[in-house]
Amino acid sequence: MNSRIEEHPILGKIEKGRRVTFWYDDKKLEGCEGEPIAAALKAAGVMVHRHTQKYGAPRGIFCAIGRCTDCVMVVDGKPNIRTCITPLAEGMTVQTQYGVSAKCANKAEGMA
Amino acid sequence: MKRYDLIVVGAGPAGLSAAVEAAKYGLKVVVFDENANPGGQLFKQVHKFFGSKEHKAKIRGFRIGSQLLEEANQFGVEVILNATVAGLFQDKEVTVRINDSIQHYKGDAILIATGAAENMVPFKGWTLPGVIGAGAAQTMMNLHGIVPGQKILMLGSGNVGLVVSYQLLQAGCEVVALVDAASKIGGYGVHAAKLARTGVPFYLSHTIIKAEGTDCVTGVTIGEVNKAWQVIPGTEKHFDVDSICMAVGLSPMAQLLKMAGCVMEDNPKKGGQVPVCNAYGETSIRGVFAAGDVSGVEEASSAMIEGRIAGIAAAEYLGYIDKVTLSDKVGELESALNSLRQGMFALENRGKCIEKTEEGYDVSLHLLQKGYFQEQEVANYPGVTVQRGVHAVIECSQNIPCNPCQDACPKHCIKIGERITSLPVVDENAGCSGCGMCVAACSGQAIFLVNEDYENGYASVTLPYEFLPLPEKGERGWALDRSGSKVCTAEVVKVQTSPAFDCTNLLTIKVPVAMAMKARFFREGSCHAECE
Repeated sequence: MNSRIEEHPILGKIEKGRRVTFWYDDKKLEGCEGEPIAAALKAAGVMVHRHTQKYGAPRGIFCAIGRCTDCVMVVDGKPNIRTCITPLAEGMTVQTQYGVSAKCANKAEGMA
Repeated sequence: MKRYDLIVVGAGPAGLSAAVEAAKYGLKVVVFDENANPGGQLFKQVHKFFGSKEHKAKIRGFRIGSQLLEEANQFGVEVILNATVAGLFQDKEVTVRINDSIQHYKGDAILIATGAAENMVPFKGWTLPGVIGAGAAQTMMNLHGIVPGQKILMLGSGNVGLVVSYQLLQAGCEVVALVDAASKIGGYGVHAAKLARTGVPFYLSHTIIKAEGTDCVTGVTIGEVNKAWQVIPGTEKHFDVDSICMAVGLSPMAQLLKMAGCVMEDNPKKGGQVPVCNAYGETSIRGVFAAGDVSGVEEASSAMIEGRIAGIAAAEYLGYIDKVTLSDKVGELESALNSLRQGMFALENRGKCIEKTEEGYDVSLHLLQKGYFQEQEVANYPGVTVQRGVHAVIECSQNIPCNPCQDACPKHCIKIGERITSLPVVDENAGCSGCGMCVAACSGQAIFLVNEDYENGYASVTLPYEFLPLPEKGERGWALDRSGSKVCTAEVVKVQTSPAFDCTNLLTIKVPVAMAMKARFFREGSCHAECE
C-alpha cells in the first residue's frame, strides 16, 4: 500500500525533499526531509502516534494542522511534539508517546 | 516592543489581502501566522473557484494563493511565520509566541483574520487513528502528497465534504460513501453531481453509528436517522474503510477578539460566536478589525474581498486616506462582495428548503438526495437544449454566484446576464463551434458537449476529466450515467488538453445515440463479451 502520490492530475509531479532516515521507536524508517513527521510516518504505514494517559487509547493524525494535538509524540527526547507540523530531519528520533512520555528508553540519543 | 501601523493576525486569504491593501497606502504592516507557510487554506485548494472574473473565478485556489503572495511581496508586506499570537490586549498590544519566547508588539490598528476551525461529531470510535477532519485529508494529500487512506467514508455533504471527496478521488483514493444526517445535500448540486457520476453513493438521512477497529479504523457502520435524528433499527450498513473523514462545518476562531473585549454575537448562520462588525469589518473597538471566516464562515473568495475592505478602512482610520477615497475604493469591493452573497446559498437562505430557482424552475429533489438528476429532469433547465450538431449541455440547476461559462464562449452561446446567480441559458441560434472552452471553464464541471449527429447511429459526448491516468484516443471502456452506473460501452475519440483548460482535460467519447443524454463519465476497462 503506497500512500505517496507520485503524480497528481492537478498538481503534477509531487516534489519532495531528499530521502532521509529516522528512528521510529526501535525501527529505522525513511521519509522525505522537511515533510511533517506525521506524513513520513503515514507513508510508512504508522497509524498510532500515542496512547492516552488514562485508558491507553490509541491516537493518530486528526487535524493535520497543529491544532488538535492528537498526533503528539516524543521527538528527540522532547514529549508533546506536534508531528503534523514538525519537519522531518535526518536522524531524528521519534517515539510513540504513552501519556506524556516514551514508554521505555531506546538506543537513540537524547533519551538519557 | 516593536510598533506597526497595522498588525494582521493570520496570513490566509483575508489577512494577506488586508495587508496588501493597507501597504498600498503606505501603512507599515506586519502579518503573523502560526503556520510555517503563508496562504492559509488556499494552497490546499486544487479546485477552480466560483464567482465571476472579479472574484478570480475558474482559477484554482492554490494559484490564487501564489498571486496573493506575489502581491504581498510587491508591496513590502512583512510576514512573520511560526508566530502564534497568544493575546490581544488594551491599546492594541499583542503578545506573540515565536519559538520558545513571548514577544510584545503594538499596532495602531489590528486586523484579526484567524479563520475558522473544523467542527467534529463524536460517535463510538471517533478517536481512533484513521478518523480525521476533511481539512486534514486536504492538507495531507494536496500539501504533503500523502493520501490519508485507500478506502474512505466522508461524513458531511456541504461544499467541504463534496470538494474534498472529489479531491480524494483525484489523489487515487476510493470514496465508499458520502453520508449526511440531513435529508438534503448541503453543498452545491454540481459538486455532488461530479462525485455521483464517478459512482460515489450518497446516504442522506444517515449518520455514523460507530467506527470499528482496535488500533485504527478498519470499518464503519452507518444507519438511517428519523426526524428526531435517532437511528432507525434495522437500517445499519457496514463498509470496510481505513479512514473516516469529517466535514461537518466550521467554527470561527474569534477568541482573540473576545479576549480584547469586542462585542460578540452568537450567530448560527455565521458559524457560531462572531464579533459584531460594521460594513468595513471594524469591531466595537475602534481600530480593531475582523475579516474572513473569523467574522462569519463563508469561503476564500469573500474572505479576500472582506480583507481588502478592512485593509482600506484601516488606512482611513489611521489617516492615510480620507473618507471620500475610502467610500470610493470600498464601494466597488462591496458590490463584488454582494454579488457573491446572492442566490440559493446566501446567508439568509441557510437551512431553508428552496423548491424553485429565481427563474421559477423546479429544484431537483433527486439531485439533493442522491447527488444526480433523473434523466427527465435535466431537459427542464435553460442550459439544456436539443440541437442539430455539437452544442453545450449545461446541467446547472441552482442559483449559484458563478458565470465563467458566459465569458468562456467565443460564440456567445451562453448567457447568464447581469445577475451572476442566474442559470446559464444556451442560445440555440448562436452556433456552437465545439471548442470546449465552456466545459473547461465550468468550476462545477456541469457542462458537456453533445453531438447527436456524430456518426450514423452514434453520438459524441465531451466531458471534463481531471483524473490520472488520462485515457488515450482509441481506448475503449464504459460510459457511466449520472449515477455512476455503466450504461454502455464507449470509445474515446478525442482527448484535449490545453494550458487554457488549466488541467481540466476534455474527453470526447462515442456512444450510441440513445445514450447521448445519459452518458456523463468514462471509465476505462475492458468489456469482454458483454459489449458485443
